[in-house]
Amino acid sequence: MKKKIALFLVAAMTVASLAACGNSAEPAAAPAEEEAAAPEQEEAAPAETEAEAEAPAEGEAAAPADAGSVAVFYYTYGDTYISSVRAALDATFDAAGVAYQDYDSNNSQTTQTEQIDTAIAQGAKVLVVNQVDTGSDDTTKNIIEKATAANIPVIFFNRSVGEEVVSAYDKAVFVGTDYEMAGHMQGEMIGNYLVENYDTIDLNGDGVISYVMFKGQEGNAEADARTQYGVEDADAILTAAGKEALSFYDSNNSNKYLVDQGGAWSAAAATDYLQTALSQYSEANSNMIELVIANNDEMAIGAVTALQNAGYNLEDGSATVIPVFGVDATDAAKEAIGKGTMIGTIKQDAEGMANTIAQITQNFQSGADKFADVDAANVVGTWRVNIPYATYTGE
Amino acid sequence: MAENKIKAKEQAFKELSSKDKTKKITDLLLNNAMYIIIILAVIYISIKVPAFLKLPSIVNVISLTAAKLPIALGIGGCIVLTGTDISAGRVVGLTACISASLLTTTFKVFPDMTSAPPIIVVLLTIIVAGGLVGFVNGFSVAKFKLHPFIVTLSTQLIVYGIILMYLMRGTNNGQTLSGLTDGYRSLITGTLFSIPTATGSVAVPKYVLYSILLVILMWVIWNKTTFGKNMFAVGSNEEAANVSGVNVSKTIIMVFVLAGMMYAVTGFLDGARIASANANTGLNYECDAIAACVIGGVSFVGGIGRISGIVVGVLLLQIIFTGLNFLAVDANMLYIIKGLIILIACAIDMRKYLVKK
Repeated sequence: MKKKIALFLVAAMTVASLAACGNSAEPAAAPAEEEAAAPEQEEAAPAETEAEAEAPAEGEAAAPADAGSVAVFYYTYGDTYISSVRAALDATFDAAGVAYQDYDSNNSQTTQTEQIDTAIAQGAKVLVVNQVDTGSDDTTKNIIEKATAANIPVIFFNRSVGEEVVSAYDKAVFVGTDYEMAGHMQGEMIGNYLVENYDTIDLNGDGVISYVMFKGQEGNAEADARTQYGVEDADAILTAAGKEALSFYDSNNSNKYLVDQGGAWSAAAATDYLQTALSQYSEANSNMIELVIANNDEMAIGAVTALQNAGYNLEDGSATVIPVFGVDATDAAKEAIGKGTMIGTIKQDAEGMANTIAQITQNFQSGADKFADVDAANVVGTWRVNIPYATYTGE
Repeated sequence: MAENKIKAKEQAFKELSSKDKTKKITDLLLNNAMYIIIILAVIYISIKVPAFLKLPSIVNVISLTAAKLPIALGIGGCIVLTGTDISAGRVVGLTACISASLLTTTFKVFPDMTSAPPIIVVLLTIIVAGGLVGFVNGFSVAKFKLHPFIVTLSTQLIVYGIILMYLMRGTNNGQTLSGLTDGYRSLITGTLFSIPTATGSVAVPKYVLYSILLVILMWVIWNKTTFGKNMFAVGSNEEAANVSGVNVSKTIIMVFVLAGMMYAVTGFLDGARIASANANTGLNYECDAIAACVIGGVSFVGGIGRISGIVVGVLLLQIIFTGLNFLAVDANMLYIIKGLIILIACAIDMRKYLVKK
């Protein structure tokens, strides 16, 4: 009897939670549209109300509730940088009164492809895709074929897709970053910083700076580029200034990087690696690691933690600072740079990316030229927009 | 007394036929295979890289082991019940995020807060949170007779969803939580004591002490309480335990609740140890923890396992990984080596069990 009651309770809870999900997610277009439209109606412009009223009428035979809705696919909600793009894009869409639905592909291309099918079946009018498998032309082609069949535009963003595939469909664009750029800019920033502060950084005074490189993931083009150029470009500046090139702290390591085994670009991986390394390499042994380069800010912050535990990079400025460099300019990294425990990072402009995506979405919806009102300096050919990076070394 | 015993054993050994002798020796080697592997690994690594046996390195291995112990201690109980718990990593993530959001100076998740609550309040809160997830796990396993794998698979997803929602709260927008209070960090990573060496001193962090205390606590629970004895009884034979008057449901629920609390403690330690927490914190922690338990002889067959085994398992994995790191082994090889170690350990473990049968 008890068991039956318990089972019934669980069943009831599940139904309730499904119903709750249904309210917030499934017919998202309708409430979202209402919510978005409502404040605007209050604020002003009867014209807006008219526009909203017109939209369903234009929505042909598709379910009227979904007319004009935008489906956005994020490769994973677990990524810090992507979360900031999501927050910015949601805000932009809300402000512009665009109905949208967010999907979490949870790091699985299969999931994402199936979600795209579902969204098209629901009558999505624009696809915004943060493709899970980077650099897989077949996946991109597959998505574009689906979009072509439904005759709807598709905007790829953040994770890189192939030029040929995207340019083949006139309603496809890619909003990304020149992914090699982050590595180049990081290398340049490091090189310049080292040249300026060479003698302070070279703790053992041997004329060579020994560094450690934390790689976020194996088999990721961005991670590969950052790992390569972060050092190469710094070396170029150093040798041009008559200094020795950087030397990896562990001469036995032929890879010249330490990679997060979980492929998660995680702080924990960097902390554990550096803690282990610092147990062997120290100022006392006069082989201290004098520079930390990380593929992203998570790992940079993780490295700062390990350094702090070893008595370096303290917030009160009382200890030696081992320069730590990252990429992304997350809030945590900016804070660390403000406190002087980290030196610099490369800013990926989340808001810039979100604004550009929203602009292109609206261009597609209004039938304007797809790159109308997009900063022309960032447009590459007819298929892509590059959101520029910026160096960040404190405000 | 001890001498007599050894002599008696020697005598017994001499009386065996040569065939039995070799069998006895192989048995002895296989039964202690893990200890032998540890010793061989340490010898090999320290010949290649002498610094591996220096004090800073030893302290490093011990502190990394300490950081990974609590979750393994929790998951061990679930394995004794022939179950598993794959929600462990996400519970670590959730509790680390809660700790990092409250014991901070920036309060992005709760913008209305101005000062951090007392550390003990936060610790109790997350232990309750972890215990709650454990209760849901245990309740579903015990009352609905579901396999723990599927139950914890479900709760793993649910907890991940909660983490993502939690991180989007307030003004945080899914960002990494950091800016922890000094009190929290120093409570965990502060110096327990320093060991002076020729070239400066090596600090042992405080969380090593906490891990040791947890090991003692779990040892007492497993070996000296009725609950512990019931756990092994249920693990070896649920029906028999039930017939002999053990409250099976209550035991299962308590094992999972206890496990959940241990994950919470792991999250509490990890939040401060890494000094940041985000949606990926704790991801896949359960894999290493389960592997460590199995390597340490906690058997999936059920009803078999010792706390000392878990400690050895965690230590072995850590020694191997730190060691491979020292040897600068190619990262791709690490996966293969890890897989092989787990496979061999399980095979040896099963062999022991088959012989018994």
